[in-house]
Amino acid sequence: MNPAGQKQENTSDFVFPKSYNFPPFFSPQPTTLTREAQLRKWSIFIQRYCKHHRIFQLTLIETLDTPLFYNATLKKRLSLKDAKAVIDYMVSKEGDERAEWLGSERASAWIWWRKPEEWANLIAAWVDETGQKGTVLTLYELVQGETVEKQEFYGMDMEVLRKSLQTLVKKGKAQVFGAEDQQGVKFF
Amino acid sequence: MSTRRGVGLGAFTNRNATAQSYAAHGSNLKSANAASLQAQLEVFQSLLHNFALEHAATIKSNPTFRAEFARMCNAIGVDPLAGSNIKGKKADSLWAKVLGHDVNDFYFSVAVRVVELCQSTRAENGGLLGLKECCESVARGRAIGGGLQVSEDDIEQAVKSLEPLGSGFVILTIAHKRFIRSVPKELNTDQSTVLEVLQLLGSVTVTLLQLNLGWEPARAETVIQDLLADSLVWVDLQCREPEYWSPQGLIDENE
Repeated sequence: MNPAGQKQENTSDFVFPKSYNFPPFFSPQPTTLTREAQLRKWSIFIQRYCKHHRIFQLTLIETLDTPLFYNATLKKRLSLKDAKAVIDYMVSKEGDERAEWLGSERASAWIWWRKPEEWANLIAAWVDETGQKGTVLTLYELVQGETVEKQEFYGMDMEVLRKSLQTLVKKGKAQVFGAEDQQGVKFF
Repeated sequence: MSTRRGVGLGAFTNRNATAQSYAAHGSNLKSANAASLQAQLEVFQSLLHNFALEHAATIKSNPTFRAEFARMCNAIGVDPLAGSNIKGKKADSLWAKVLGHDVNDFYFSVAVRVVELCQSTRAENGGLLGLKECCESVARGRAIGGGLQVSEDDIEQAVKSLEPLGSGFVILTIAHKRFIRSVPKELNTDQSTVLEVLQLLGSVTVTLLQLNLGWEPARAETVIQDLLADSLVWVDLQCREPEYWSPQGLIDENE
């Protein structure tokens, strides 16, 4: 039924879900239950895709023609309206708050394949393991330094980093100081 | 003369006597037959038992072999899962005797996986799950203990082991493909027909149903809408005419 096993060229070894080769996946399903299953599948797919390509933020209009929302083999696409509906679902509680709109015009959104607090936990764990509690680290070295090259948060979006650290600050587990481009952080 | 033609009153008693002796002879034959059949059956069962013991390891490890063994049991009317096959003596099932108690457990654990899978995919497939897909998914096994090497027959056996629970899980065949139906809903003839066509073609349109089955537009439309409402088909609107697809084979490893 599905032209399974099709390789999507030019998107280095990302394994597309089976539903991606299922034409109805790209049309909003009229039945509520089916629709819920469909939205859940889209959410998981988007998170996996963004994680694979290390995409932190999606601008919908720019994404419509990329393989994420357009299946060139099937010539099926997710319309802007439907893409918004999917992100809306991801933003919602049912969608596990896996996305967050930037601004009220709903043009771009953060995709939380890891939520800020999940990133924060990763970073805090690494700081703890490497015995750097109480040391001041610059935000730059935290995500670009040689010592973090093997860490998952290596090269992560600075804005996401700040958001993540804020969750630690709120819990009193870290302190962030300094000006915009010269920020440092201390973990307790 | 009278005895030969049997016309006197005495003929009634004679006839009764004859009938009685026929009946007696018949029941003698019957019980003799039954006894010999019984003996044969016992011999056969003990042979089957020996066979099973001898090949226990293979039955346990090889899904194909297990399926063939189960098929053989079925053919001679022995249900390996049932407890009372081997007369009277022990309450354990043949499986349990042969493979130790963990074999019933084996089927129950398969059954648990099947139930999980049916439930988690119900929203996308309307409670109709292909045995093949189910098999693959169980084998990939995201759950505790990793993948179980199972055959389609194992799954069928597992579903049967759920019957006493009144689970409502049923195996049904549509166009030579076996499915587990986990939603207690009867499909009407038209719906079954469309599902059969979907098995063969992958997708259908209302026009296609009209042309090929000679259905009135309203009839085709109704069937499709019913199937759609039950999540048994998904609709693709990005075509000249809406196409309806069977959602089999959508289960993903990483979901």
